[in-house]
Amino acid sequence: MKTLSYSLLLFTFLFQACSTQEAQPPRQTYASQESPEPQPASEEKALKSNTLSSTDSSGFDSEFQEEDVDLIDPLSGYNRAMTTVNDKMYIYAFNPLSETYAAILPEPLRIGISNAIKNLQYPIRLSNNLLQGKFKNATDETERFLTNSTIGLLGFMDPATNLVHVPKHQEDFGQTLGFYGVGAGFHVVLPFFGPSNLRDIAGLTLDVYASPLVNIKGFENYKIPDNFGQSVAIATLYYVNKNSLELGQYESLKADALDLYPFLRDIYEQKRQVEIEE
Amino acid sequence: MFKVLLTLCLLTLSTQAVVESQIQKVMDSKVRQVLTVLKKSSLSQQQKQSKSIVIMDPMFDYQTMAMISLGKAWKKINTTQKRQFTKAFENKMKRSYITKLRLYNNQRVITKPLKKVKPTRITLENYIIGKNDTYKVKYLFYKNTKNAQWYIYDVHLAGVSIVQTYRKQFASFLKTKSFQQLLRSL
Repeated sequence: MKTLSYSLLLFTFLFQACSTQEAQPPRQTYASQESPEPQPASEEKALKSNTLSSTDSSGFDSEFQEEDVDLIDPLSGYNRAMTTVNDKMYIYAFNPLSETYAAILPEPLRIGISNAIKNLQYPIRLSNNLLQGKFKNATDETERFLTNSTIGLLGFMDPATNLVHVPKHQEDFGQTLGFYGVGAGFHVVLPFFGPSNLRDIAGLTLDVYASPLVNIKGFENYKIPDNFGQSVAIATLYYVNKNSLELGQYESLKADALDLYPFLRDIYEQKRQVEIEE
Repeated sequence: MFKVLLTLCLLTLSTQAVVESQIQKVMDSKVRQVLTVLKKSSLSQQQKQSKSIVIMDPMFDYQTMAMISLGKAWKKINTTQKRQFTKAFENKMKRSYITKLRLYNNQRVITKPLKKVKPTRITLENYIIGKNDTYKVKYLFYKNTKNAQWYIYDVHLAGVSIVQTYRKQFASFLKTKSFQQLLRSL
């Protein structure tokens, strides 16, 4: 009896191993075949059986937003025009500049600059984690700031992520406003900065106050730049440096768009919504 | 005899779990394979692309993705159109997905454990460590009730659902233009 149960156990295990090998869909041939002349009969069959079998389509529909819900977008005319301006500016000025910059500065140095600037944005992350009652995250951010500012050589290195494994918790004032139920308001495309909305513009203004990298009258002791010119220089460095590490991403994103403005608007709003919920 | 029954019972229970945990294993190894392919400097961009697609392909259910992305319009088109649309959509998805994986990735991908959202839905989160940022990629699986296999029906990139984004775009496109025009623009 014992032998039987053991052999059965073994058999089932072996059997299971075989069946799990098949965890990949059997459709493989259909999906990966790139035959220029598909046989309509067989493919149609595959199509039908798949559609009928693939559970209930209504189940999926409830997971996705109704497609014809129209956003309130009073600035759509301006937004569309500004999207075009930003797009041209990006392609003809900003991107070539970033490429030249990337060709001059080696990548590790650029990653270092990116780390250092992000490290200095710590007050924004701290205050917003605290304002949202995320105390554990605020502690993490503090630990990261202290680690990176010291053994991370003024933030150029990121030992907090790579050695100590303390996770980042990006939060800004726009997210805090959203956290307390402030709606997005209508969509606004900003010059240079791109997609935004009323809530995030308000958030951005507060971010500027909290950031040590933007000069504001009356806050000189706290701010690193001494005047407007220096603030602009730091911001330019930040954006060019950031883009030099993300070359090709905008183009790839754009390739997915049928109509650029609503596409960028929708992904921005979706992304912000998720960031607020987290 | 009771023992046998008990063992069998336990095993049938665990079969489900193994199939699910297999998703993680299969996905982990596939993502790693793709990263290795993408890093190989001996391959041309074209070769990298097609090799990566062959690796990831069996996991995706392009048919279902195409269906969801078209929304209500899916019911209005005939079988030939469905087939044409699925093919066009599939090609677009493949190009877009692999290019993004290449662009966003620097070296590492961290995978999180599976989450079972519903009996027929599972999500798997990956964190791609890029040069300048960490990007979250979430794969959404559904269970095909017919063959009890799990397929990807959507991917969320940095919080943005690819299928949802297409669904919106296609709907607004079809408001003013025809299905044939949509097919051509893909």
